[in-house]
Amino acid sequence: MSESVIEVRELVNEFGKQRVHDRLNLSVRHGEVLGIVGGSGTGKSVLLRSILGLHKFTSGNITVLGRPIEYHSSAGRRCWGVLFQSGALLSGLTVLQNVELPMAVQSDMPRDMRRELALLKIRMTGLPLAAADKYPSELSGGMIKRAGLARALAREPKILFLDEPTAGLDPISATEFDQLVRYLQRSLDLTVVMITHDVDSLFGVCDRIAVLVDRAVTVGTPDEIVASEHPWIREYFTGPRAPRARHSSN
Amino acid sequence: MNALTQSQFLEISEQADQQVISLRDDWTFDHVSDLEDALHGFGPAGASSVQFRCGGLQNIDIAGAWVLHKRALELRAEGIPTDFAGFKAAHFKFLDHIAETGFKPDDTESGNGRREAVADRIRRLGRATTHWVSDLGAIGQAILDGVRSPGVLGVKETVRQLQLVGLNAVPIVALICFLIGLVTAYQGALQLTQFGATTFVVDLVAISVLREMGVIMAAIMVAGRSGSAFAASLGSMNLNQETDALRVMGLNPNRILIAPRVVALVIALPLLTIVADIAGLAGGWVLCVTTLDMSTPLFLSRLQGAADLSTFFVGLVKAPVFALLIGAVGTLRGMQVQSSSEELGRMTTVAVVQSIFLVVLADGVFTIIFARLGL
Repeated sequence: MSESVIEVRELVNEFGKQRVHDRLNLSVRHGEVLGIVGGSGTGKSVLLRSILGLHKFTSGNITVLGRPIEYHSSAGRRCWGVLFQSGALLSGLTVLQNVELPMAVQSDMPRDMRRELALLKIRMTGLPLAAADKYPSELSGGMIKRAGLARALAREPKILFLDEPTAGLDPISATEFDQLVRYLQRSLDLTVVMITHDVDSLFGVCDRIAVLVDRAVTVGTPDEIVASEHPWIREYFTGPRAPRARHSSN
Repeated sequence: MNALTQSQFLEISEQADQQVISLRDDWTFDHVSDLEDALHGFGPAGASSVQFRCGGLQNIDIAGAWVLHKRALELRAEGIPTDFAGFKAAHFKFLDHIAETGFKPDDTESGNGRREAVADRIRRLGRATTHWVSDLGAIGQAILDGVRSPGVLGVKETVRQLQLVGLNAVPIVALICFLIGLVTAYQGALQLTQFGATTFVVDLVAISVLREMGVIMAAIMVAGRSGSAFAASLGSMNLNQETDALRVMGLNPNRILIAPRVVALVIALPLLTIVADIAGLAGGWVLCVTTLDMSTPLFLSRLQGAADLSTFFVGLVKAPVFALLIGAVGTLRGMQVQSSSEELGRMTTVAVVQSIFLVVLADGVFTIIFARLGL
């Protein structure tokens, strides 16, 4: 069960003279949770946007589920769901309408059915059903993330992308969210790619960690990454802000 | 075992008094409505139990599992036991997951009832009204404060706004009023030449442009340009928490954002009205000279006879009032944007529509007042 679902080959991204990614290679295996970390400006978001087809990369190849990213049409069936950092819920729609939105591509689906499935997704992400009729502005940060996750799951994705899912959440909500992601990943057979700075998430949820350093990527299990000799990685995992990581690696 | 029905997604057969439903193909989101139709296309037909079998099932996801789960619940509610056989562990994951959430079809009935929704609407309306009144007061207060003690920030912003709402609007206001003057003169000429009263075209243009058209057209242009800009910029500042940022810095956003805009508008609109008047008269003059064979001295002497300084001031005096209305509505609507980008768009539209309406309404009131005063 370890065939790769995302293959990034020789990816180059340049902004003017600045080269953010230099022949970057990364493969994401089926059924794993891959955490992406890196300092500011190392191109985590650019990498994610390249994989999602939101950013036209300078050169290289990206295939998702065996298909080059250029051929994943926007109108066609997309096999992934994305949770953006700020949730990116449409502010003029209720949570329920937001979750129903991606299902609307399936136009012949009866309304009741769509509503049922949307509510099921909302329920799956741990939101109370009463939240379904609320507008995003009436929700707390944690609830917005859950609603965003429900929307990401709306079209039965095989791959789930999370952009800093626990940023802005308190440690308790963050841990709950991590557990939710892990639980959904196991029960829905998902492959999860998440950008995160939360060291607890990295060690709590991720099977492998990809560190963006020196315009390329270093991938390994959490233990391998912690044992890395690279100065930035050492600093990242042993610095003053990573007490828990140090603890868990001992 | 004999097959009774088969379709793309399932095959039904009977074993003793057990109905066996073998699933095939993909039970996924893409086919969900077909799946439901397929499952509901037949009853248990007197069978005492129903078994769902994996059969040729390829893929299943939450949507497919939900359809299956719901059917199983329905059958159980009718007193018919169901079981699942031959599923792979991967398939069971989805079924188990739904069972774990404890979500049932009747849960969809939750949410607010109709009565609650109506009550909620009324409550919102009430809240909106009180907000409206207090916002209007806050804007009045802000303008007064801003005028009394502008401060460095206020003066700088006022000058910037003057350029945006005043100077930058000059070309379009002049162009529009030039055309209005031209058209008024032309339409007047068509009628008046029939009576040999061609020279009265000048009276028509002078009075209509100076008293009404100049100031009205300038105000409508400004409402469209600046009223909407006020609402949109203040609204998006609200959404970005920029106004909150000002507040926690101890600065009053009303005073910093509203007063300079409204003051700039009150200064700019009379000036734009003068531009509009000149452009309108120029339009009339161009038509008179080119198509009515009127000489420029004749045009100017008729103009002096038709309109005096009071005609000009009757138009001009309305401008600050219109400016106040446009500025107040634009900023008020902008400040009312609280939650969503959709609201931002709606409030911007409302700002333009309401300010134009109020300008026309105020113009009517002015006409009555001036008529009473005999101006």
